[in-house]
Amino acid sequence: MRVFQMQRISAIALLIFLTIHMIVVHYPPFHINFDIILQRMADPLWKAIDIAFLFFVLVHALAGAYVVLTDVQRFSPLKRVFAGAAIVLGVVAMYYGTVTILAFQPPA
Amino acid sequence: MSNNGAYPIVTVRIQRFNPDTDKKPYLQEFQVELKPGTTVLDALHEIKAHQDGSVTFRRSCRHAICGSCAMNVNGKNELVCKAPLKERLDRKGRVTIRPLPYLPIVKDLVVDRSSFWEQYQRVKPWLVPPENIPEKEFRMSPEEVAALRNAETCIMCGACYSSCQIIALTKEYIGPHALLKAFMRVMDPRDAIPGERLADLAGGDGVYRCRTIFNCIDACPKGLNPTEAIETLRKLAQKRQAFEAARAERQKRLSEPIPSP
Repeated sequence: MRVFQMQRISAIALLIFLTIHMIVVHYPPFHINFDIILQRMADPLWKAIDIAFLFFVLVHALAGAYVVLTDVQRFSPLKRVFAGAAIVLGVVAMYYGTVTILAFQPPA
Repeated sequence: MSNNGAYPIVTVRIQRFNPDTDKKPYLQEFQVELKPGTTVLDALHEIKAHQDGSVTFRRSCRHAICGSCAMNVNGKNELVCKAPLKERLDRKGRVTIRPLPYLPIVKDLVVDRSSFWEQYQRVKPWLVPPENIPEKEFRMSPEEVAALRNAETCIMCGACYSSCQIIALTKEYIGPHALLKAFMRVMDPRDAIPGERLADLAGGDGVYRCRTIFNCIDACPKGLNPTEAIETLRKLAQKRQAFEAARAERQKRLSEPIPSP
Protein backbone atom coordinates (compact mmCIF):
# COMPACT_ATOMS: atom_id res chain seq x y z
CA MET A 1 0.00 0.00 0.00
CA ARG A 2 2.84 2.40 0.84
CA VAL A 3 4.54 1.97 -2.54
CA PHE A 4 1.18 2.46 -4.25
CA GLN A 5 0.56 5.67 -2.31
CA MET A 6 4.08 6.94 -3.04
CA GLN A 7 3.55 6.23 -6.71
CA ARG A 8 0.21 8.05 -6.86
CA ILE A 9 1.27 11.09 -4.81
CA SER A 10 4.52 11.50 -6.75
CA ALA A 11 2.58 11.13 -10.02
CA ILE A 12 0.31 14.05 -9.08
CA ALA A 13 3.33 16.13 -8.03
CA LEU A 14 5.10 15.27 -11.31
CA LEU A 15 2.10 16.41 -13.32
CA ILE A 16 2.49 19.84 -11.76
CA PHE A 17 6.30 19.96 -11.91
CA LEU A 18 6.47 18.63 -15.47
CA THR A 19 3.93 21.19 -16.64
CA ILE A 20 6.02 23.97 -15.09
CA HIS A 21 9.19 22.45 -16.52
CA MET A 22 7.81 22.16 -20.05
CA ILE A 23 6.46 25.71 -20.03
CA VAL A 24 9.49 27.35 -18.43
CA VAL A 25 12.31 25.37 -20.02
CA HIS A 26 11.10 24.06 -23.36
CA TYR A 27 8.17 26.16 -24.57
CA PRO A 28 8.37 29.53 -22.81
CA PRO A 29 5.85 32.10 -23.99
CA PHE A 30 8.67 34.66 -23.95
CA HIS A 31 12.11 35.02 -25.50
CA ILE A 32 14.66 32.90 -23.65
CA ASN A 33 18.43 33.11 -23.73
CA PHE A 34 21.34 31.82 -21.69
CA ASP A 35 21.36 34.85 -19.38
CA ILE A 36 17.80 34.15 -18.30
CA ILE A 37 18.69 30.52 -17.63
CA LEU A 38 21.68 31.55 -15.53
CA GLN A 39 19.54 33.95 -13.51
CA ARG A 40 16.91 31.31 -12.93
CA MET A 41 19.39 28.64 -11.88
CA ALA A 42 20.86 31.03 -9.32
CA ASP A 43 17.46 31.93 -7.86
CA PRO A 44 16.90 30.16 -4.47
CA LEU A 45 13.22 29.63 -5.27
CA TRP A 46 14.07 27.85 -8.52
CA LYS A 47 16.73 25.84 -6.71
CA ALA A 48 14.04 24.70 -4.26
CA ILE A 49 11.69 23.85 -7.14
CA ASP A 50 14.43 21.87 -8.92
CA ILE A 51 15.27 19.93 -5.74
CA ALA A 52 11.58 19.10 -5.17
CA PHE A 53 11.28 18.06 -8.84
CA LEU A 54 14.30 15.80 -8.47
CA PHE A 55 12.83 14.28 -5.30
CA PHE A 56 9.51 13.38 -6.93
CA VAL A 57 11.18 12.06 -10.08
CA LEU A 58 13.35 9.75 -7.98
CA VAL A 59 10.45 8.55 -5.83
CA HIS A 60 8.29 7.85 -8.88
CA ALA A 61 11.02 6.18 -10.93
CA LEU A 62 12.41 4.00 -8.16
CA ALA A 63 8.98 2.98 -6.85
CA GLY A 64 7.98 2.12 -10.42
CA ALA A 65 11.12 0.06 -11.01
CA TYR A 66 10.60 -1.73 -7.68
CA VAL A 67 6.99 -2.56 -8.53
CA VAL A 68 7.84 -3.81 -12.04
CA LEU A 69 10.64 -6.04 -10.75
CA THR A 70 8.67 -7.47 -7.84
CA ASP A 71 5.76 -8.33 -10.15
CA VAL A 72 7.91 -11.18 -11.41
CA GLN A 73 7.44 -14.21 -9.19
CA ARG A 74 11.02 -15.44 -9.42
CA PHE A 75 12.23 -12.11 -8.04
CA SER A 76 9.87 -12.13 -5.05
CA PRO A 77 12.51 -13.53 -2.61
CA LEU A 78 14.59 -10.46 -3.49
CA LYS A 79 11.94 -7.92 -2.46
CA ARG A 80 13.98 -6.57 0.46
CA VAL A 81 17.12 -6.41 -1.66
CA PHE A 82 15.28 -4.37 -4.32
CA ALA A 83 13.77 -2.09 -1.68
CA GLY A 84 17.19 -1.55 -0.08
CA ALA A 85 18.85 -0.92 -3.44
CA ALA A 86 16.12 1.57 -4.41
CA ILE A 87 16.53 3.46 -1.13
CA VAL A 88 20.34 3.59 -1.41
CA LEU A 89 20.20 4.62 -5.06
CA GLY A 90 17.56 7.24 -4.26
CA VAL A 91 19.54 8.74 -1.38
CA VAL A 92 22.79 8.87 -3.38
CA ALA A 93 21.10 10.41 -6.44
CA MET A 94 19.19 12.89 -4.27
CA TYR A 95 22.37 13.93 -2.44
CA TYR A 96 24.38 14.28 -5.66
CA GLY A 97 21.60 16.20 -7.43
CA THR A 98 20.96 18.51 -4.48
CA VAL A 99 24.65 19.33 -4.09
CA THR A 100 24.91 20.07 -7.82
CA ILE A 101 21.85 22.36 -7.78
CA LEU A 102 22.94 24.22 -4.64
CA ALA A 103 26.54 24.58 -5.78
CA PHE A 104 25.57 26.46 -8.94
CA GLN A 105 26.76 30.04 -8.98
CA PRO A 106 26.31 32.35 -11.96
CA PRO A 107 29.57 33.60 -13.43
CA ALA A 108 30.45 37.03 -12.11
CA MET B 1 -15.02 -24.58 -49.31
CA SER B 2 -18.34 -26.42 -49.34
CA ASN B 3 -19.40 -29.99 -48.91
CA ASN B 4 -21.09 -30.79 -52.26
CA GLY B 5 -23.49 -27.91 -51.86
CA ALA B 6 -24.50 -28.86 -48.34
CA TYR B 7 -22.81 -26.89 -45.59
CA PRO B 8 -19.55 -24.99 -45.95
CA ILE B 9 -16.47 -26.64 -44.48
CA VAL B 10 -14.35 -24.62 -42.10
CA THR B 11 -11.03 -25.27 -40.41
CA VAL B 12 -10.74 -25.58 -36.67
CA ARG B 13 -7.18 -25.37 -35.37
CA ILE B 14 -6.76 -26.84 -31.94
CA GLN B 15 -3.69 -26.61 -29.77
CA ARG B 16 -2.71 -30.14 -28.83
CA PHE B 17 -0.41 -31.15 -26.02
CA ASN B 18 0.02 -34.41 -24.21
CA PRO B 19 2.63 -34.01 -21.48
CA ASP B 20 3.41 -37.75 -21.63
CA THR B 21 4.36 -37.75 -25.30
CA ASP B 22 4.83 -34.18 -26.59
CA LYS B 23 7.76 -31.89 -25.93
CA LYS B 24 5.79 -28.75 -26.71
CA PRO B 25 2.26 -27.78 -27.81
CA TYR B 26 1.39 -27.75 -31.50
CA LEU B 27 -1.65 -26.83 -33.62
CA GLN B 28 -3.68 -29.53 -35.32
CA GLU B 29 -6.24 -28.76 -38.02
CA PHE B 30 -9.66 -30.33 -38.32
CA GLN B 31 -12.40 -29.73 -40.91
CA VAL B 32 -15.98 -29.36 -39.73
CA GLU B 33 -19.26 -28.42 -41.36
CA LEU B 34 -20.53 -24.96 -40.57
CA LYS B 35 -24.18 -25.61 -39.83
CA PRO B 36 -26.52 -22.80 -38.79
CA GLY B 37 -26.17 -21.99 -35.10
CA THR B 38 -22.95 -23.98 -34.65
CA THR B 39 -20.92 -22.77 -31.69
CA VAL B 40 -17.20 -23.31 -31.18
CA LEU B 41 -18.10 -25.91 -28.55
CA ASP B 42 -20.31 -27.74 -31.06
CA ALA B 43 -17.31 -27.89 -33.39
CA LEU B 44 -15.17 -29.36 -30.61
CA HIS B 45 -17.87 -31.94 -29.87
CA GLU B 46 -18.07 -32.82 -33.55
CA ILE B 47 -14.31 -33.31 -33.73
CA LYS B 48 -14.19 -35.40 -30.56
CA ALA B 49 -17.16 -37.55 -31.56
CA HIS B 50 -16.32 -38.18 -35.22
CA GLN B 51 -12.70 -37.32 -35.94
CA ASP B 52 -10.39 -37.66 -32.95
CA GLY B 53 -11.64 -38.95 -29.62
CA SER B 54 -8.40 -37.97 -27.92
CA VAL B 55 -9.10 -34.23 -28.18
CA THR B 56 -9.53 -33.16 -24.58
CA PHE B 57 -11.51 -30.21 -23.27
CA ARG B 58 -13.76 -29.25 -20.36
CA ARG B 59 -17.44 -28.44 -20.80
CA SER B 60 -20.62 -28.99 -18.90
CA CYS B 61 -23.78 -26.90 -19.10
CA ARG B 62 -23.58 -25.50 -22.67
CA HIS B 63 -25.54 -22.46 -21.47
CA ALA B 64 -22.72 -20.14 -20.40
CA ILE B 65 -23.48 -20.60 -16.74
CA CYS B 66 -21.05 -23.24 -15.43
CA GLY B 67 -17.83 -21.58 -16.63
CA SER B 68 -16.17 -24.90 -17.54
CA CYS B 69 -15.55 -24.20 -21.22
CA ALA B 70 -13.49 -21.00 -21.00
CA MET B 71 -10.79 -21.20 -23.66
CA ASN B 72 -8.70 -18.90 -25.77
CA VAL B 73 -10.32 -18.42 -29.18
CA ASN B 74 -8.31 -16.44 -31.73
CA GLY B 75 -6.30 -14.91 -28.88
CA LYS B 76 -9.26 -13.90 -26.73
CA ASN B 77 -10.53 -15.72 -23.66
CA GLU B 78 -14.18 -16.64 -23.83
CA LEU B 79 -16.78 -19.31 -23.20
CA VAL B 80 -16.80 -21.48 -26.30
CA CYS B 81 -20.39 -22.61 -25.68
CA LYS B 82 -21.70 -19.13 -26.44
CA ALA B 83 -19.22 -18.30 -29.19
CA PRO B 84 -20.85 -18.67 -32.64
CA LEU B 85 -18.37 -20.47 -34.90
CA LYS B 86 -19.31 -18.38 -37.92
CA GLU B 87 -18.39 -15.13 -36.15
CA ARG B 88 -15.02 -16.48 -35.00
CA LEU B 89 -13.74 -17.45 -38.44
CA ASP B 90 -10.92 -15.42 -39.90
CA ARG B 91 -10.68 -14.45 -43.58
CA LYS B 92 -9.31 -17.88 -44.44
CA GLY B 93 -12.27 -19.57 -42.76
CA ARG B 94 -10.26 -20.75 -39.77
CA VAL B 95 -10.66 -20.54 -36.03
CA THR B 96 -7.82 -21.19 -33.57
CA ILE B 97 -8.56 -22.62 -30.15
CA ARG B 98 -5.97 -22.72 -27.39
CA PRO B 99 -6.21 -23.41 -23.67
CA LEU B 100 -6.45 -20.52 -21.21
CA PRO B 101 -3.04 -18.85 -21.20
CA TYR B 102 -0.58 -18.58 -18.27
CA LEU B 103 -1.87 -21.77 -16.63
CA PRO B 104 -0.15 -25.17 -16.73
CA ILE B 105 -1.64 -27.42 -19.42
CA VAL B 106 -2.96 -30.77 -18.21
CA LYS B 107 -3.80 -31.96 -21.71
CA ASP B 108 -4.85 -30.23 -24.95
CA LEU B 109 -7.36 -27.55 -23.91
CA VAL B 110 -7.55 -28.52 -20.24
CA VAL B 111 -5.53 -26.40 -17.82
CA ASP B 112 -4.60 -26.84 -14.18
CA ARG B 113 -6.70 -24.30 -12.25
CA SER B 114 -5.21 -25.04 -8.82
CA SER B 115 -3.75 -21.54 -8.38
CA PHE B 116 -7.09 -20.04 -9.42
CA TRP B 117 -8.97 -21.89 -6.68
CA GLU B 118 -6.23 -21.42 -4.09
CA GLN B 119 -6.40 -17.66 -4.53
CA TYR B 120 -10.20 -17.82 -4.37
CA GLN B 121 -10.03 -19.64 -1.03
CA ARG B 122 -7.60 -17.02 0.22
CA VAL B 123 -10.17 -14.22 0.22
CA LYS B 124 -12.64 -16.23 2.37
CA PRO B 125 -15.38 -16.02 -0.27
CA TRP B 126 -18.10 -17.04 2.17
CA LEU B 127 -20.35 -14.74 4.17
CA VAL B 128 -19.41 -14.25 7.84
CA PRO B 129 -22.72 -13.34 9.49
CA PRO B 130 -22.99 -10.93 12.42
CA GLU B 131 -23.58 -12.25 15.95
CA ASN B 132 -27.04 -10.71 16.24
CA ILE B 133 -28.73 -12.52 13.37
CA PRO B 134 -32.25 -11.15 12.83
CA GLU B 135 -35.02 -13.50 13.82
CA LYS B 136 -36.86 -13.17 10.54
CA GLU B 137 -34.66 -11.80 7.76
CA PHE B 138 -31.87 -9.39 6.82
CA ARG B 139 -33.33 -6.20 5.39
CA MET B 140 -31.19 -4.68 2.63
CA SER B 141 -31.95 -1.63 0.54
CA PRO B 142 -32.21 -1.90 -3.27
CA GLU B 143 -28.99 0.18 -3.50
CA GLU B 144 -27.12 -2.29 -1.31
CA VAL B 145 -28.34 -5.20 -3.41
CA ALA B 146 -27.46 -3.38 -6.63
CA ALA B 147 -23.88 -2.87 -5.41
CA LEU B 148 -23.46 -6.65 -5.16
CA ARG B 149 -24.94 -7.43 -8.54
CA ASN B 150 -21.70 -6.78 -10.42
CA ALA B 151 -19.89 -9.50 -8.52
CA GLU B 152 -22.81 -11.83 -7.99
CA THR B 153 -23.11 -12.86 -11.62
CA CYS B 154 -19.50 -14.07 -11.84
CA ILE B 155 -19.47 -17.75 -12.85
CA MET B 156 -15.79 -18.36 -11.99
CA CYS B 157 -14.82 -19.36 -15.50
CA GLY B 158 -11.25 -18.09 -15.14
CA ALA B 159 -11.28 -15.98 -18.31
CA CYS B 160 -10.29 -12.84 -16.39
CA TYR B 161 -7.70 -14.64 -14.27
CA SER B 162 -5.84 -16.08 -17.22
CA SER B 163 -5.95 -12.85 -19.21
CA CYS B 164 -4.35 -10.84 -16.39
CA GLN B 165 -0.78 -9.79 -17.13
CA ILE B 166 0.14 -9.86 -13.45
CA ILE B 167 -0.97 -13.49 -13.25
CA ALA B 168 1.30 -14.12 -16.23
CA LEU B 169 4.20 -12.90 -14.10
CA THR B 170 3.26 -14.27 -10.70
CA LYS B 171 0.74 -16.67 -9.20
CA GLU B 172 1.10 -14.90 -5.85
CA TYR B 173 -1.35 -12.19 -6.93
CA ILE B 174 -4.86 -12.86 -5.69
CA GLY B 175 -6.32 -12.20 -9.12
CA PRO B 176 -9.38 -10.37 -10.48
CA HIS B 177 -11.81 -13.26 -9.92
CA ALA B 178 -11.11 -13.55 -6.20
CA LEU B 179 -10.93 -9.79 -5.71
CA LEU B 180 -14.34 -9.46 -7.33
CA LYS B 181 -15.75 -12.00 -4.87
CA ALA B 182 -13.98 -10.24 -2.01
CA PHE B 183 -15.59 -7.01 -3.19
CA MET B 184 -18.98 -8.70 -3.00
CA ARG B 185 -18.38 -9.77 0.60
CA VAL B 186 -16.95 -6.40 1.65
CA MET B 187 -19.93 -4.55 0.18
CA ASP B 188 -22.46 -6.95 1.69
CA PRO B 189 -24.02 -5.25 4.74
CA ARG B 190 -24.56 -8.67 6.33
CA ASP B 191 -20.84 -9.44 6.41
CA ALA B 192 -19.27 -8.99 9.84
CA ILE B 193 -15.56 -8.83 8.95
CA PRO B 194 -15.11 -6.16 6.25
CA GLY B 195 -12.19 -4.62 8.15
CA GLU B 196 -10.32 -7.91 8.33
CA ARG B 197 -10.99 -8.53 4.67
CA LEU B 198 -9.76 -5.09 3.64
CA ALA B 199 -6.62 -5.49 5.75
CA ASP B 200 -5.86 -8.78 3.97
CA LEU B 201 -6.61 -7.33 0.54
CA ALA B 202 -4.31 -4.36 1.18
CA GLY B 203 -1.36 -6.76 1.61
CA GLY B 204 1.40 -7.28 -0.91
CA ASP B 205 -0.54 -9.70 -3.15
CA GLY B 206 -3.86 -7.89 -3.05
CA VAL B 207 -5.53 -4.89 -4.63
CA TYR B 208 -2.37 -2.79 -4.91
CA ARG B 209 -0.86 -5.30 -7.29
CA CYS B 210 -3.45 -4.60 -9.97
CA ARG B 211 -1.92 -2.43 -12.69
CA THR B 212 -5.30 -1.49 -14.22
CA ILE B 213 -4.52 -3.09 -17.57
CA PHE B 214 -8.26 -3.82 -18.04
CA ASN B 215 -7.72 -7.22 -19.69
CA CYS B 216 -10.08 -8.75 -17.13
CA ILE B 217 -12.92 -6.50 -18.30
CA ASP B 218 -12.31 -7.41 -21.95
CA ALA B 219 -12.17 -11.12 -21.15
CA CYS B 220 -15.22 -11.42 -18.88
CA PRO B 221 -17.97 -13.28 -20.78
CA LYS B 222 -20.55 -11.87 -18.38
CA GLY B 223 -19.55 -8.27 -19.01
CA LEU B 224 -18.44 -7.68 -15.41
CA ASN B 225 -15.93 -5.08 -14.29
CA PRO B 226 -13.36 -6.53 -11.87
CA THR B 227 -11.08 -3.49 -12.27
CA GLU B 228 -13.76 -1.17 -10.93
CA ALA B 229 -14.30 -3.52 -7.98
CA ILE B 230 -10.55 -3.55 -7.28
CA GLU B 231 -10.42 0.23 -7.47
CA THR B 232 -13.32 0.45 -4.98
CA LEU B 233 -11.53 -1.95 -2.63
CA ARG B 234 -8.41 0.21 -2.83
CA LYS B 235 -10.37 3.28 -1.81
CA LEU B 236 -12.07 1.40 1.03
CA ALA B 237 -8.73 0.00 2.23
CA GLN B 238 -7.51 3.58 2.64
CA LYS B 239 -10.36 4.36 5.04
CA ARG B 240 -10.77 0.92 6.51
CA GLN B 241 -11.53 1.91 10.10
CA ALA B 242 -14.26 4.37 9.16
CA PHE B 243 -15.81 1.76 6.86
CA GLU B 244 -15.68 -0.85 9.61
CA ALA B 245 -17.40 1.52 12.05
CA ALA B 246 -20.09 2.33 9.49
CA ARG B 247 -20.68 -1.38 8.93
CA ALA B 248 -21.04 -2.06 12.66
CA GLU B 249 -23.58 0.75 12.84
CA ARG B 250 -25.45 -0.62 9.81
CA GLN B 251 -25.62 -4.10 11.29
CA LYS B 252 -27.51 -2.82 14.30
CA ARG B 253 -30.39 -1.99 11.91
CA LEU B 254 -30.28 -5.09 9.73
CA SER B 255 -33.66 -6.37 10.88
CA GLU B 256 -35.38 -3.00 10.64
CA PRO B 257 -37.52 -2.09 7.63
CA ILE B 258 -35.76 0.02 4.99
CA PRO B 259 -37.12 3.56 5.04
CA SER B 260 -38.76 4.48 1.74
CA PRO B 261 -37.05 7.35 -0.12
